[in-house]
Amino acid sequence: MAGGFGQADWFGVGLVKPIESSARRRQQTCSTGENPKLSVRGRTDLATKSSPKPNAPEVPGGGFLRRLASGVSLTAEAGIEWTIRLCGWSAILFVFAIFFFVLREGAPVLFGELDLVEFFTSTHWQPTSLVRPRYGALALMVGTLSVTGLAMLLAVPVGLGAAVYISEFCQGKVKETLKIVIELLAAIPSVVWGFIGLMVMGPLLMDLTGAEVGVNLLTGGVILALMSVPVIVSVGEDALKAVPDSYREAALALGASRWEIVYRVLFPAAKNGLLAAVLLGVGRAVGETMAVLMATGHAVQIPYSLLDPIRTLTATIAAELGEAVKGGTHYRVLFVIGLLLFAISFVVNLTADVIVKGIKGESRN
Amino acid sequence: MAELRYCLAWKRPDGSFQPGETFASFAEAATALSAWQPQSHSGALSTQEPCCTDQVEIWCSCQDEPATVLSRPRYSFVVYGTVAGGGGDGSEAAPWWGLQEAITGLVELERSGQLALRHGQRLRLCHREVFATSAGQKRKARAENIAKTVFMAMALMLVAPVLAILVYLLVKGWPALSLSFFLENPRERMTAGGIWAPLVGTFFLVFISLLLAAPVGILAGVYLNEYARDNWLTRIINLAVVNLAGVPSIVHALFGVGVIMFFAELRRNYGIWVPFEDRCLLAASCTLAVMTLPVIITSTREALASVPMSFREACWNMGATRWQTIRTIVLPNSISGILTGVILQVSRAAGETAPILLTGAVFSVPVPDHGWRAFVPYGLHDRCMALSMHLYTISTQVVNVPEHVEYGTAVVLIGLVLAVNSASIALRVYLRSRKKW
Amino acid sequence: MKTKTEPAARPSSSPGESPSSGRSEVHICFRNVTVNYASVVALREINLEVYRREILGIIGPANSGKSTLLRCINRTLDFVPGAKVTGQLLIDGQDVLKVRNVYALRRRVGMVFPLPVGLPLSVYENVAYAPRRAGVRQRHELDAIVERCLRQAMLWDEVKDRLDILGTKLSGGQQQRLTLARALSLDPEILCLDEFSIAIDPVTTMRIEDILRELKQRMTIVLVTNLVQQARRLADRTAFFMAGRLIEVGDTENIFEHPQCELTRRYVEGDFG
Repeated sequence: MAGGFGQADWFGVGLVKPIESSARRRQQTCSTGENPKLSVRGRTDLATKSSPKPNAPEVPGGGFLRRLASGVSLTAEAGIEWTIRLCGWSAILFVFAIFFFVLREGAPVLFGELDLVEFFTSTHWQPTSLVRPRYGALALMVGTLSVTGLAMLLAVPVGLGAAVYISEFCQGKVKETLKIVIELLAAIPSVVWGFIGLMVMGPLLMDLTGAEVGVNLLTGGVILALMSVPVIVSVGEDALKAVPDSYREAALALGASRWEIVYRVLFPAAKNGLLAAVLLGVGRAVGETMAVLMATGHAVQIPYSLLDPIRTLTATIAAELGEAVKGGTHYRVLFVIGLLLFAISFVVNLTADVIVKGIKGESRN
Repeated sequence: MAELRYCLAWKRPDGSFQPGETFASFAEAATALSAWQPQSHSGALSTQEPCCTDQVEIWCSCQDEPATVLSRPRYSFVVYGTVAGGGGDGSEAAPWWGLQEAITGLVELERSGQLALRHGQRLRLCHREVFATSAGQKRKARAENIAKTVFMAMALMLVAPVLAILVYLLVKGWPALSLSFFLENPRERMTAGGIWAPLVGTFFLVFISLLLAAPVGILAGVYLNEYARDNWLTRIINLAVVNLAGVPSIVHALFGVGVIMFFAELRRNYGIWVPFEDRCLLAASCTLAVMTLPVIITSTREALASVPMSFREACWNMGATRWQTIRTIVLPNSISGILTGVILQVSRAAGETAPILLTGAVFSVPVPDHGWRAFVPYGLHDRCMALSMHLYTISTQVVNVPEHVEYGTAVVLIGLVLAVNSASIALRVYLRSRKKW
Repeated sequence: MKTKTEPAARPSSSPGESPSSGRSEVHICFRNVTVNYASVVALREINLEVYRREILGIIGPANSGKSTLLRCINRTLDFVPGAKVTGQLLIDGQDVLKVRNVYALRRRVGMVFPLPVGLPLSVYENVAYAPRRAGVRQRHELDAIVERCLRQAMLWDEVKDRLDILGTKLSGGQQQRLTLARALSLDPEILCLDEFSIAIDPVTTMRIEDILRELKQRMTIVLVTNLVQQARRLADRTAFFMAGRLIEVGDTENIFEHPQCELTRRYVEGDFG
C-alpha cells in the first residue's frame, strides 16, 4: 500500500472550511505523533485512512486529511491579505480625500463668484470689507515666495555643505552625533520656532538693525531656513550615500583628494538627489504655517526690503479661517488657497520624486 | 649678439642661490651637474618649497653683462634621488629617476631645441625623495583642508544656534518650572497658573491619533514591503505616501474642517450616524493621524526591508504562508525600526499646531485640575486644549502673560518632543546593538 | 537525446493501483516544462520523470537551470518577478502548476538551498518552525521532531546542550545542516537538495550522504550538485542539464560509464564545467 497515500489529493485544492478545533487538533496530533519513528508504515496508515480519488470534487465533511495537510486556513490568509492590502491603498485614499474635501468646500467660489484674475493679480486682500470684499492673493503669494526664497538662499548652501561634511568628511562618533543633532533639529515643533522668532530673534533684530518691527521677512526667512535645513541635510546625505563607493575608490586610486571627489565625482553623480533635497526643502518651507504665522509680521503687502513684514498663504488660512463665516465666500476662498497650496506641494513632491527615481520609477533597494 | 654663458648656482641653507662655475655651453653645464650631491634641507626649506629637498639652478647670461636673473625660473624639472624606475620626463608628475637620467634628459631637450634659455633666465632642477609630496599634492591638500573647514563650519552653523537657543529658552523659562506649573490649570486669563489642561489635551490627542494611525500605517508598510509587486499601483502608492508627507499641515487642517462639514451635513440631511460633526478631540486626532500616517508607513517599510530576504524564502520553503512568515519572522525582527517610526510619529503629533488649530483645539476649556476628573477632562466629542496651541495662544493672543510662563511652556513643549525623540534614538541604538544576525 | 533505458512512466491516476515495486513508479513528472525569466529562457521543454524513492542526481554547469527546476517543484518560482512556467509538472498525477494551496505543496517538498540560512530564532525553534505552523502544539511531539531532524542532519551532538542559542549565531556549516534539519522537519515525501554540501566539511558530508541513502527508503530525493562524484556516489539515476536543456538522463552507472551523448561524457570526465 506504499503508493496509496501518494494518490491523496493532498494539495487540498483550496477551500478550507472552518472545522471544529478540538477535532482538528486531535487529527494533527495523530498525524505527527508518529513522526518521531518516521516509519513508512505510519505514513501508509495515514494515507489509507483517506484514499480519496484524485481530482475528486470537494466533499463537505469528508477528506479531513486534505485540510490537515494544508494546515492553514486559506480563507483567513486571504482575509488578512486583503486587510493589509486595503491599508496599503489607504495612502492613495487619503491623498484623494484631502483633495476632494478641500475642493468640495472651495468649489462653489472657485467655479463661481471668485474672480481668478483678481485672485492672482491683485494685492488687495480685503475679505472682511463690508462695502466690497476683495480677494487678491498676489501679496500673499509674493509673501510666501519671498520668505521661501530667502530661506532657501540661506538653507541650501548650509544644508548641502553640512550634508557633504556628514557624508564625506567625518566618521564614527562625530558623524553619529551630527546626524542625531540634525534629527533633533527636525523635531523641534514649528510653534516653538515661531515662538523663538517672535520672542528671541525679533527683539534681537530690532536692536541690531533698528527695524520698526522685529517680526518680518528676515526673521521669517531665518527661522524657515533653520526649519528646512534638516530635510535638505538628510535627503542630501542620502543622495550622497547612494553614490556607489566604487566611484570614490576609483577617484582615490587616480590620486584625487576628497574635495576633488566631492565636486568632480559626487556632485555630478548625486545632482538629482541633491536637487530633490532642495525641492523637498522648498516644499517644507512653502507649507510651513505656525512659524511664519508668528514670525513674519502679518502685513498683507509686497515686501520691498528684508525688514518689511509680510504674510504668507498658509498664515492667512490659519489666522482667518477661525473667524470666517462658515459657508461664506471668505471661508471658501481660504479653501481655494488651500487647494493652491496642495497643488504646489503636489507638484514639488512629484518633481522631486521623478528627479530621484526617473519617470518610470525604479523599485527601492 | 654676445655669447651666452651658463652658470651653475647651488642652493644655500638659507634659501638663496650661490653662483658657481661658469660654462660656455649648456651641455657642459648639465654634465657638471653630476657633481651635485643633494642634501636634505628639512626645517626652514620645507615650509617654502616642501616638495624639494634640494635644488640646483642653471643661470644663463650674456658673456659681458652682469648675471642678473629674473625672479622665477623659466623651466623647472624634478628628479628623484634614487634610480628605481625609468622613463620619467622631468615633469612634476613623472620626475627623472636619478641624476644621470636627468642630465641625459636635459642635454637631449637642449639639443632638440626645446630648451631656449635667454639672457637672465634660469632653469631649476629640484631633487625629491620618491614618496615626498609634490607641490601639486600639497596644493590639493590645502584645498581639501579649506573645503573641510568650510563644510565643518556649515555643519556647526546648524548646531551652534540651536544649542544657543535651547539654552536661552531653558534659562528664561527656568523660574516657571515647578511641580505646580505642571499640575495646575491656567488661571486669570492665562496669565497665571500652569499647563495641566493643555498637557493632558496633548496627551489625549497624541494617544488617540496613535491608536488610529499606527495599525493602518504599519499594515500599509507591510503591504508595501511584503506584498506589493513592482508595478504601477505600487508606484502610485509610493507617490501618494511621499505626497501625503509633503502636504502642508494647514491643508490637513482644511481637510479636517472639510470632513467635519461633510459629516455635519450628512447628519443634518440624512440622519446618518457620524463619528463627529463639530470641532472636537476626535476630529483633531483623526487629522493628526492622517498627517502622521506617512511617517509610520515609511519607517515601517524601511524596518521591514532590513530583514534579509533569505529568511522569508526559508520560511516559504517550509510551507509557511506569507502572513505566517511576516508574523513569526519579519515583524519580530523589525519591531525596533517600527517602534522608532511610531515614536517619531508621537513626537511629531505632539508638536503640531496647525492641524488641530481648526479641528478641535481651542484657546481655553474650563476643566478641573484636581480629583480623578483631572485625568480624563475631555470626552471624545469635547473640544480640548493642547500644549502647542497653548503656547501659540499665550505668546500671540493674550496680553500681559509673564515672560517666564511663556518660556516655561515653550521649554516644556520642546522638552517633551525632544525627550520622545531621544527615546526613539536610544531605542534604535540599543536594539541595533543586539541585532540577531 | 533522452535515453530510453528506463521503463516508460505508468499513468498513476488510478487510485486502486499500488505497485509493489515503488522503484519504478513515477512520482514527479515534468512534461514540456519551459521556464522564462522575462526574456531569458531558463528551462527549455523539459521532459523528465522522477521515480518514487530514488535519488535523482542532477548535474550540469552553472546557469543550466538546475536550481530553477527545483524552484518549479515547490512553486517558489512564484516569488521571482517575471518568471513564467508553461507545461505540466505532475506530482502523483496532479499538476503542481495549477495547485492553489501551495503551502500544502511546500510542506510535502523539503527544500535546501545552497546558502545556509539560520532563522533568527533559537535552534529548537528553527526546527520546530514548520511543524508549529502546520499545527503541532504538543511539546513532547515537537521535542521528538527536533531531535530526530537534528540527528538526521548530523547536528544533534553539536547543539544538543544549547538548543536555545540563536540559529544565526551558528557557524556556516552548522547553519547549513540546520537548514537541512528544517527541511526534514515536516517529514516531506520529496526532498530537494541544491548543492547542500557547499558549506559542510567532507567528513560531515559523507555522513549526511549516508543519512540520505537511509532517507531514500521513504522519500524521493532530487539532488542538484556541482560535485560530479557526489552524484556518482549517491544517485540512482542522474540527469545532465546544460543551458536549460535536459541533455541526458539514465542510471547513474550508464551516465558515468557509457554516456550516450558526447557532451555528457566530456562533462563527467571533467573536460569542462
